[in-house]
Amino acid sequence: MDSAVSRRSNIKIAVGAIVCEESTLKGHITIGSRTVVHPRASIIAEAGPIIIGEGNIVEEMAVIANRLPAGAPEPASTPVMIIGNFNVFETDSRCEALKVGDNNILEMKASVSREVELTNGCVVGAACSLTEPETVSENTIIFGSQCQRREMNDKPYPQVGQIDYLTRVFPNYHHLRKPNMKIVKEPAI
Amino acid sequence: MEPQDIYYNKAEYVETASGNKVSRQTVLCGSQNIVLHGKVIVQSDAIIRGDLANVRTGRYCIISKNVVIRPPFKKFSKGVAFFPLQMGDHVFVGERAVVNAAVVGSYVHIGKDALIGRRCILKDCCFIEDGAVVPPETVVPSFTRFAGNPATCVEDLPECTLDLMLDYTKNYYQHFLPARV
Amino acid sequence: MAYLFQPDYVRYVCSCGSVKPVSKIYFCRHCLKVRCGYCVCHEVDSHYCSNCMENLPSPEVRLKKNKCSNCFECPCCFQTLSTRAAPAPVRAGGNPSVEDTKSLAKPPPKKVYYLSCSFCRWTSRDAGIPDQFVATGGWPEQENPHLARIVALLEYHKILASRERQQSERKKFHPKRTYMQFEKFAMSSVMVRKRAGLCPLPQSQQSDYPQPAVASEEVEELSPDIFTQPLDITKITTLEQRLKHPDVQAEEINQLRPQHKQFLMKRSQRCRVCEHNVCKPEYSPQSIKFKIQLAAFYHIPEVRIVTCEPLRIGQTSELLLKLCNPTQHQTQIMLFPLSTSITPTTVTAAGTKEVDRENMQLGCESPNLLPSLVRQITVTEDPKPLKLSPQAEIILPESILILPPRDDAAEYDDTGDTHNFQDDPKLVVWRKGNKAVIRLLVKPNEDEQIEEGKEITVGFVMQYGYVNTIATLEHKEPQKLDLKIKLFLSIGKLVGST
Repeated sequence: MDSAVSRRSNIKIAVGAIVCEESTLKGHITIGSRTVVHPRASIIAEAGPIIIGEGNIVEEMAVIANRLPAGAPEPASTPVMIIGNFNVFETDSRCEALKVGDNNILEMKASVSREVELTNGCVVGAACSLTEPETVSENTIIFGSQCQRREMNDKPYPQVGQIDYLTRVFPNYHHLRKPNMKIVKEPAI
Repeated sequence: MEPQDIYYNKAEYVETASGNKVSRQTVLCGSQNIVLHGKVIVQSDAIIRGDLANVRTGRYCIISKNVVIRPPFKKFSKGVAFFPLQMGDHVFVGERAVVNAAVVGSYVHIGKDALIGRRCILKDCCFIEDGAVVPPETVVPSFTRFAGNPATCVEDLPECTLDLMLDYTKNYYQHFLPARV
Repeated sequence: MAYLFQPDYVRYVCSCGSVKPVSKIYFCRHCLKVRCGYCVCHEVDSHYCSNCMENLPSPEVRLKKNKCSNCFECPCCFQTLSTRAAPAPVRAGGNPSVEDTKSLAKPPPKKVYYLSCSFCRWTSRDAGIPDQFVATGGWPEQENPHLARIVALLEYHKILASRERQQSERKKFHPKRTYMQFEKFAMSSVMVRKRAGLCPLPQSQQSDYPQPAVASEEVEELSPDIFTQPLDITKITTLEQRLKHPDVQAEEINQLRPQHKQFLMKRSQRCRVCEHNVCKPEYSPQSIKFKIQLAAFYHIPEVRIVTCEPLRIGQTSELLLKLCNPTQHQTQIMLFPLSTSITPTTVTAAGTKEVDRENMQLGCESPNLLPSLVRQITVTEDPKPLKLSPQAEIILPESILILPPRDDAAEYDDTGDTHNFQDDPKLVVWRKGNKAVIRLLVKPNEDEQIEEGKEITVGFVMQYGYVNTIATLEHKEPQKLDLKIKLFLSIGKLVGST
């Protein structure tokens, strides 16, 4: 029943993407090829559309939301949330950032608020949260209770292996949403 | 303090022959790969990812609400493999905790909102405090209490931890009762 | 059970005067007294690495400076580093320091290994440490810049120690030799007396004394950059990181080097009075079993608070306590006011008799369990004065509560209790197996200035029957004793007055 509603509400899933039925998708969402959305993950496009690129992993309980902060005035133009390629949103992480580049990792229970921009190759460590407006420079790691920062030498690699494994295994265990977008469109970054 | 009775909605829970009490509001992916060894309580909105690899728990494990139990993966030069997740007897996992460990021993307490990183090994009789973040591949030795982000050993546990945990989980199971309508 | 994560509501008073929950105290079967972590001797049984679980004999541990030779800690966040494999670099690229000239000359090996922290993603490449071709070992050791000085001082102190030992040995075995020597050379008694208090005659070893450290006035000049260079806080080490390696105290992140992981240890506890072990774990670091386990949790009845009615000044409230007998013998419990003496008593045909265990101990048993060299001198302190005072009166019952022994099989037995005790219905509310719930009345004190919301404590002395199964010369048969222990209970906050 959930999927019937979502199909009506303009959810575009590219061929090659694995999106579980049991995930929650709301609003205008575009999901790129080879992106894996685990069961119980939520993508909520409330304030405007969400465009997710290729090869991203959205794990269970992770929330990607394009949502206006409570009590904020209605913006002049609809805000569009754009997520690049090969990002990993781990269990129970929360991403409201409007711009996310490539190869970023949000570890377990990490949280990134709306005014933050993640560039490329950033790691937001477990249970760390970014709430103040800023642009996180490339290859930054944020870790620990004090949200310490450092520039990484080893940038996070695309999780190609994991995506391949999940793509192979998921059809055996889960009902998947059918891809409805033939042409793999490059998401505008 | 003596534990209080916890009442659950009888319609919500399934009780198996071996005494497992599993809420219907859970997500047990790949349930054929999940073995709960008896008298295990799995509360509502818990997620057990049996689709990724096997998950086995011992007896008297308590999986609280919104817990995620997720077998860890390891990257090899040729792709990725997910490892089975083993859990011992008398383990308590607090609400909203995420367990990504390879092995959780027996008589282990994992606090609320605790995060256990990939391929961690929690030895028997250890205690992870609420909100602790155990980094991936950490070995938590027996009789230690870990807390903080990153989690470090903050205290030694008493020698009778085994019986304290045994008593706690058994008591919890005995006090977990269907609500009388 | 809940002792691990709840505040200590019920606390027992140890023989040393400390107040601790039952999970943290021991019961010495030989002294028949309660001991705690503060008043026992802690002894190191074995050292082990918490990561690889390897345990080593103590001389080797000393040689390795209490650190594991295989496991490393991240210098940045102090978590364990893991070894990562990477394809061997074929082309020169990335970090030039990584490139090994040898690997270019030979056909490149398949894999290289580097250390990486999975928490803060620090890698040995950050520090410019060349990658290794084997998965374990071979990492360059960081040398202490003051090594030469430390070695010189250590050597000197070793000489001092050996000299001292020689002297003490000489004194022990040939106390008269020195005088004989002097006699040989016909030294007058006046000279002998003069020499007696002086240090030994100067010897050649004296020259080994290392150069004393000299304080210098010169301080390195501060580079003028410090005022002009913009500060990048992400590249500078924190105080914590520096203090973790006091020998180097690197200023910049990329100067940090992986550190060997410190060993943990397994401890055993020994009673200071009778020198028997109260707790001895098994040797293996993986094991959670004990060879000797005299935790009070297994010997002294456990008291738990079930509920307590809201407390009001001058009003009695009902307090329900759950008592549990952990032993294999039936016990009888009586409660007395706090002022009661806690000397153990034994019931004989003639009546109750006080037992002075401490004197008995010396008379019948040799407490010397360890060779004199290893043995520590027993340090026994006088009990600390008890600072707790109850803020409420507790009305204690006069009847005796009998608790049957623990029966692990009873759990699977649904037939119910076969015990038939003549309980005082006013006292005993509930009973099952070796557990019983009793009802007591408490009344917060009126005279004191107690404000609302204040935590109320009550106290009493619990007398419990204990069966001593240790056969001594005097008692071959198990001996029945009545032991007493003081308890303090935090029963809740004061709600208000009447």
